[in-house]
Amino acid sequence: MSFEEISHTADVKIHASAPTLEALFSETFRALMQVMYGARQGGSVIRNIRIESTDAESLLADFLSEVLFVSEVESLVFSDARIRIDGLYLNAELIGESFDPVRHSGGTEVKGISYSGLEILHDANGYKVDIIFDV
Amino acid sequence: MLEGIRRVGVHEWEVPVGYVPGMRVAGRFFLSESLAKTLEPGAIQQLANVATLPGILKNSLAMPDIHWGYGFPIGGVAAFSIDEGVISPGGVGFDINCGVRLLSTPLHYRDISGRRDLIDELFRSVPTGVGAKSPLKVSSQSLEGMMVNGARWAVGAGYGVEHDLMRCEEGGFLKTADSHFVSPKAKQRGIPQGGTLGSGNHFLELQVVQEIFDPDAAKAFGLASGQICCMIHCGSRGLGHQVCTDHLKILEHATKKYHITIPDRQLACAPVTSPEGKAYFGAMAASANYAWANRQIITHTTRQVLSKMFGIGYEDMPLIYDVAHNVAKIEEHTLDGKVSKVCVHRKGATRAFGPGSRDLPADLISIGQPVIIPGSMGTSSYVLCGTQVAMDRTFGSTCHGAGRVMSRTQAKKNLNGRQIAANLLKEGIIVRAHSENAIADEAPGVYKPSEEVVRVVHEVGISRLVARLSPLGVIKG
Repeated sequence: MSFEEISHTADVKIHASAPTLEALFSETFRALMQVMYGARQGGSVIRNIRIESTDAESLLADFLSEVLFVSEVESLVFSDARIRIDGLYLNAELIGESFDPVRHSGGTEVKGISYSGLEILHDANGYKVDIIFDV
Repeated sequence: MLEGIRRVGVHEWEVPVGYVPGMRVAGRFFLSESLAKTLEPGAIQQLANVATLPGILKNSLAMPDIHWGYGFPIGGVAAFSIDEGVISPGGVGFDINCGVRLLSTPLHYRDISGRRDLIDELFRSVPTGVGAKSPLKVSSQSLEGMMVNGARWAVGAGYGVEHDLMRCEEGGFLKTADSHFVSPKAKQRGIPQGGTLGSGNHFLELQVVQEIFDPDAAKAFGLASGQICCMIHCGSRGLGHQVCTDHLKILEHATKKYHITIPDRQLACAPVTSPEGKAYFGAMAASANYAWANRQIITHTTRQVLSKMFGIGYEDMPLIYDVAHNVAKIEEHTLDGKVSKVCVHRKGATRAFGPGSRDLPADLISIGQPVIIPGSMGTSSYVLCGTQVAMDRTFGSTCHGAGRVMSRTQAKKNLNGRQIAANLLKEGIIVRAHSENAIADEAPGVYKPSEEVVRVVHEVGISRLVARLSPLGVIKG
């Protein structure tokens, strides 16, 4: 279970892999927060989000777009997500803390989650995906 | 050059129909041989993908700052028939009307050289970086004003003067904006961010006019050798990002509904005249207007700082010009000898209208539109002038910047922000940013050389060099 930034000229491209779909979503979520706020940990603020979508890729893009929205309008930095996926429904409990300019200014704003080349692959080893964040 | 691409001019290349399945027209791009060394196959694939969209006119085009993006390539330009063509957020991007403006001042190099206090004061006054909030209390009514009237709203609210509007593309607002199609979520994001710069490649930079190439045009634009100017680069912030996210979903359904085949999901689109196409167009225009208002507010803050520190009057700092880099617009262009309305997408490209164009103010109509091309942090920026060649060849468009060559991942791995700032300081350039990563991300070495990009557009003739500006101090997110 991991994620890594891979080279993309204009934006941030993340390669994530995990044994389950939930864990894959969680990895891309962690990547998103790392790109935006740099290293972060802990927190006691909890937000719940629910997403319904038309396919697995849209579910992922919609989930991350919603995380971006909540994080920005509520000034919250999330460190962890407990995710449940049932078909094309997702429930997530996001755990984090209030944005602190001193500790959370090490990253860059993500403007959007791109659908370009977005495809979740599944084989005997689990799930993997490449996803582009527009920065 | 990459396989399958044909040379058709000194700096001009063709991507023939058939390069990817379903192309309706050929792709054309402008590039020198030295810039071709860093051309990515992914960017050409994206240029070819755009050529598959219904109703595309003439060619899928790209400027010499072409690089790999999502949907359209960065540097991409495409025009579509209003009746048979489509509109796509993939041709605009998440940062709707990310753009740049250049503000002039009566100051000279000797007035501000080494003035760290000025850069510090600008850094304190203009909110920058991740999580930055505006000190302005933007009401719902003001937000509506920003979305409907753009820079015109800002001037009415005391953030500028009438003359500023004459120096903005489209007079600083698109009349086609319809805020009803901007979601409550987008509005919620727009309220606290009015007058904020953002992060990434957005910046505010003090520059000195170093070289004049075209004295007549420079004089008409208000530029003189040794003069200090201020360049502001930012966009529509979270409001525009949310509009793109929301409408991509709607347009994905529309793509299926209208039986349009697309090679990349990010190219989701709808006919220009369809309800879904009109909804996106209205919301996109409202976001573009928000961006113009935003740049106008930042201009006001900058003028206040300069006014306080140097005792210069507001009216002594006229705007040179403001251009959009990421936008779709209905414009009139001549096709087969006939003037027609078309839907032009510019994704990391700049409008470059030539002399005689109707949108230009009376005092610039014989010269052409000022085109502002930012360089990277340590390199020169340029002012160019729109031309008739651009009107004839590129739907009145030219490049928008230097264009990246190194990924952010590589930049952070290979470059040290603190060292870069120290090196720039040795050259007399002061940098203020919230993090060292932000400096490494945007370091001079990650971009194509700006002088080579503008040389190509000048030699192709799609814009003409007017002046070169060197950086003295920059604030970044």
